[in-house]
Amino acid sequence: MKIAVCIKQVPTREWQPRLNETKTWIREQEASYEMNEPDAYALEEGLRLREKHGGEVVVCSAGPARVQQVIREALARGADRALHVEDEALGAADASTAATALMAPMKEEGFDLILTGLQSDDQGHAQFGPVLAEKLGVPHSTIIMEVQFEPGQAGAIKVKRELEGGWFQYVTMPTPALLTIQSGINQLRYATLKGIMAAKKKEIRKVAPPPGLVPRLKVVALYAPQKSKQTVMIGGPAAQAAQELVRRLREEARAL
Amino acid sequence: MILVIAEQKDGRLNRASWEAVAAAQQLSGGQMPIKVAVLGSGVAGVAGELAQAAVAEVLAVDAGALGIYTPDAFVQAAAALIREQAPQYVLLAHTYQTRDFVPTLATRIDRALVTDVIAIRTAEGQAAFARPMFQGKLVADVVPQGPAPHLVTVQIGAFRADAVQKGQAPIVTVAGSVDAAAIRQRPEAPFQEAKQAVDLSQAERIVAVGRGIKSQENVAVAEQLAQAFGAELAASRPICDNGWLPMERQIGSSGQTVAPKLYVAVGISGAIQHLVGMKGSRTIVAINKDAEAPIFEIADYGIVADLFEVAPALIAELKK
Amino acid sequence: MERETLDVDVLIVGGGPAGLSAALRLAQLQQAKGGDALSIAVVEKAREAGAHQLSGALLDPSALAELIPDFKAKGAPLACEVSRDSVYYLTPRRQLRLPITPPPFRNHGNYIISLSQFAKWLAGQVEAEGIDLFWGFAAQAVLFDGQRVIGVRTGDRGVGKDGQPRGMFEPGADIRARVTIFADGVRGHLTKELMRVLQLGDHSEPAQFAIGLKELWDIPRDRLAPGTVVHTLGYPLRQEEFGGSWLYAMPDGRVSIGFVVGLDYQDPLLDPYSAFQRFKQHPFIAGLLSGGQVVRYGAKALPEGGWNTQPSLFMDGGLIVGDAANFVNSMRLKGIHLAMRSGMLAAETAFDAVRAGDTSARALSAYKARVDSSAIKTELFPVRDVHQAFSGGLYAGSVFAGLAMMTGGRLPGGVTGHAGHTRLKTLGHYYGMKKRDILTGSNAVTPDRSLTFDKLTSVHYSGTHHEEDQPVHLLVHTEVCHTICGDEYGHPCVRFCPANVYEMVDNGQGGRRLQINASNCVHCKTCDIMDPYGVITWVAPEGGEGPQYDGM
Repeated sequence: MKIAVCIKQVPTREWQPRLNETKTWIREQEASYEMNEPDAYALEEGLRLREKHGGEVVVCSAGPARVQQVIREALARGADRALHVEDEALGAADASTAATALMAPMKEEGFDLILTGLQSDDQGHAQFGPVLAEKLGVPHSTIIMEVQFEPGQAGAIKVKRELEGGWFQYVTMPTPALLTIQSGINQLRYATLKGIMAAKKKEIRKVAPPPGLVPRLKVVALYAPQKSKQTVMIGGPAAQAAQELVRRLREEARAL
Repeated sequence: MILVIAEQKDGRLNRASWEAVAAAQQLSGGQMPIKVAVLGSGVAGVAGELAQAAVAEVLAVDAGALGIYTPDAFVQAAAALIREQAPQYVLLAHTYQTRDFVPTLATRIDRALVTDVIAIRTAEGQAAFARPMFQGKLVADVVPQGPAPHLVTVQIGAFRADAVQKGQAPIVTVAGSVDAAAIRQRPEAPFQEAKQAVDLSQAERIVAVGRGIKSQENVAVAEQLAQAFGAELAASRPICDNGWLPMERQIGSSGQTVAPKLYVAVGISGAIQHLVGMKGSRTIVAINKDAEAPIFEIADYGIVADLFEVAPALIAELKK
Repeated sequence: MERETLDVDVLIVGGGPAGLSAALRLAQLQQAKGGDALSIAVVEKAREAGAHQLSGALLDPSALAELIPDFKAKGAPLACEVSRDSVYYLTPRRQLRLPITPPPFRNHGNYIISLSQFAKWLAGQVEAEGIDLFWGFAAQAVLFDGQRVIGVRTGDRGVGKDGQPRGMFEPGADIRARVTIFADGVRGHLTKELMRVLQLGDHSEPAQFAIGLKELWDIPRDRLAPGTVVHTLGYPLRQEEFGGSWLYAMPDGRVSIGFVVGLDYQDPLLDPYSAFQRFKQHPFIAGLLSGGQVVRYGAKALPEGGWNTQPSLFMDGGLIVGDAANFVNSMRLKGIHLAMRSGMLAAETAFDAVRAGDTSARALSAYKARVDSSAIKTELFPVRDVHQAFSGGLYAGSVFAGLAMMTGGRLPGGVTGHAGHTRLKTLGHYYGMKKRDILTGSNAVTPDRSLTFDKLTSVHYSGTHHEEDQPVHLLVHTEVCHTICGDEYGHPCVRFCPANVYEMVDNGQGGRRLQINASNCVHCKTCDIMDPYGVITWVAPEGGEGPQYDGM
């Protein structure tokens, strides 16, 4: 089975945002980066499927040169080779732009299964997977908890999809297909010394993005969340305060 | 015209759809007519419910193939509907189902999609949609590019369902345009699983306790309070470090991140490590003996008191 | 599960300026001299280059210019050149500028840098040479063959709190090398093991340390010209304490501000972190920072003892470089260039030894000879007794420092230091029999959350992260804590730790017990140094964890 795993490089959880001059984007060069967490689970799922069914895992990423960090990491964990659509402007790309950038070279590869995280920890559009599926003309399913592959079947892929409120659902579909993976569905392996050394020798195919990429979304302002809250302090004896709080929660906040 | 696509399951309306209607009314500002569509099989009842809003029309998009949700069927039907109705904007609630089919829909009709919107503003003379980025560390005002319609999904809880202006709208039934043969996903019946771990992120209400509750016996009091609120019990780190509550109930940077409708923080001082895990909550109540505690800075309501002082009164009041 | 092994010619432990300079020098020698390629590996506990690097920092570019002559063309991240420096003496309300800047504080020709960014860049240079850099691998123990160092074992990954495998367990790897270069930094936990096992410190004076606390701030851009360097002495420290501050202005309103406190203070209730917060409240400093915002926080111990505290630098199969060897000029508050140079000299020695097929202590002693005839000695030897003299208090030290500069260090009789923590006095000695609240610092500050912060908030700004479910990486014989320490020293760990790792909590029986919040740790090593009973041992947590010192 030929598996693609789309990964994104995102600022670390511990990163403190700093804005650019125009306050429309972050200072990308000052951030520290890591692999988007749900993508790491997608990669692990891809590696497990390969170990079970054979084939290869190709990591695919769109972004500036710095993205090599997470591509290398994926190769060190066991991916076979990589596809990197490289361009400085892709650092701030929205989901649709990133998918458009990856479309042609991924189509060319002819993957049986494409995995990616359910959303990114930076922009968090939760769009990339389904958008790419549509561009590649393959079916998809999102927020996947479990992947089963039965080669030769019409519905070769059977997935457990998470619904809201503790509900789940099994869905089958033919390959090729695209799945967006939920964080925490497996346990991530560690990169080994040998894995890191082997990664250096693995192929990273670099491709330029197609000309005329136009962003679909324009950020006109970026800012820290505004505090609009005015704290209402409730005093008085306990019974009175309790009554007042419950009244306000019911009538004002409608939280009960 | 603004088209709202409501969500239903088995003939029951998803309440979050009202929030999308509220967002549409705000976006319209009385300037653009609003239509609400609901997709499914046998959705007359839901359409009737939606018709109680002050909108121009409710479209009941009916097709057998829309009876059980699949992204392929919904994308087809919604794409056909949008072509026919030619709206300026398409609004939906940012539910799991929306996340599953709307990005595909936007791609199929080649239009921009803004997801997880928390506020609507005006920038450079056009509508800009505020949405969280970088895990809530920042908010971006986003203007969708390219020709209309622009698709917008609104974060659950960001717009108030009770702000919807009521009215009486006509219902129009539309035959859903779905080629059943083109549906590639085969879904099975949804099922519920016994909870393996507490998923606090799904809780509507949370009562969280911190070091200020002082002794382990008070955890039981907090538990009763949580029950009275219909809330899950959670904690800040010191409580879990002490083993008074299991790690899986920890909120904060080394625990879970939550954004419930109601968050009651009892005896929690408000260390930044805790705040990053819960400051997205819609209504925050802080109960703390220390009037200077930072938790009061982000709270909507504050009571300066110990848990054991107010808990009995609160429990009694909530039972009324 | 099988343990991974790797055999290399030269292993470098630590990816700071010393280790990375050693690696790069080896690659250069390889290129210059040809022949069979040496295999070289670097292991570093941080998840990526620079993540654990913290310094002021002012860079004396002398070693860099030798290692990478075209460093500017290669894009070395130097924030700006020092344009003006000044030294102030602070009283509680006022600042007195010293009429002339004393020579050690003159920084003409030096650069303000972020050590974290610099190390990241240097790592890029090393990687471009094809050297294997293993980030996120914590060297946990030295591998010995008798008295010979044969490499290191890295820490197990995926071990739970209970010591049992959790999830994807990965046992530590054995990396064996013909020469191991220890660049594990200030109070390196492997160097500490070497010193104990091989008695490398027998002929040197006890090491001296200080704790450096640092914050990065963004302030209004027009307030300080980039390149402005300010040092202060005095307030809030007293004459009995050694230390002072720095403030370096970089472009775009970014300011590095920090405070150093000698880890040889006497007051058991002193809190170095509070001293830093109090320093920021001084009108002179508060005025500079007002309207600004803190963006990063961190802390790290620094070697202060100088030349006479260097351990034996070589052994069978091993060399010690950089901060691990205490190569810091505490007079000038500079050590990056010495770290780099010592790494380069160690690399030259290791290269020759591997090529000659003799990596015995005798062969590797050439490193010590190289150090002795290098600029390291030229710089450190004349000021070898300065820090020890400061233990007599600020003024005595200043006078002594001046004399040392003038006389080139030729003073009658060496001044011998004592390990700093032995100077910490008991409550009884320091405060007499007076009853005191032993859990509040003598210099406690109530944080205002805009200029001053509590430790826990600052920990957040360090970006530190550790899996909670792993064995505690601070080994403490806790019986001492709840039995005698309270009465004797009033639990100084809760104060000298700058990251709220140590906490005395109610034990439910009317007493207190020590709680170790290991995941707050910023890897500064202060506890390992300053604990008066010597019962705290810092070992590395799981590789890849710890602070995230972006821009520090």
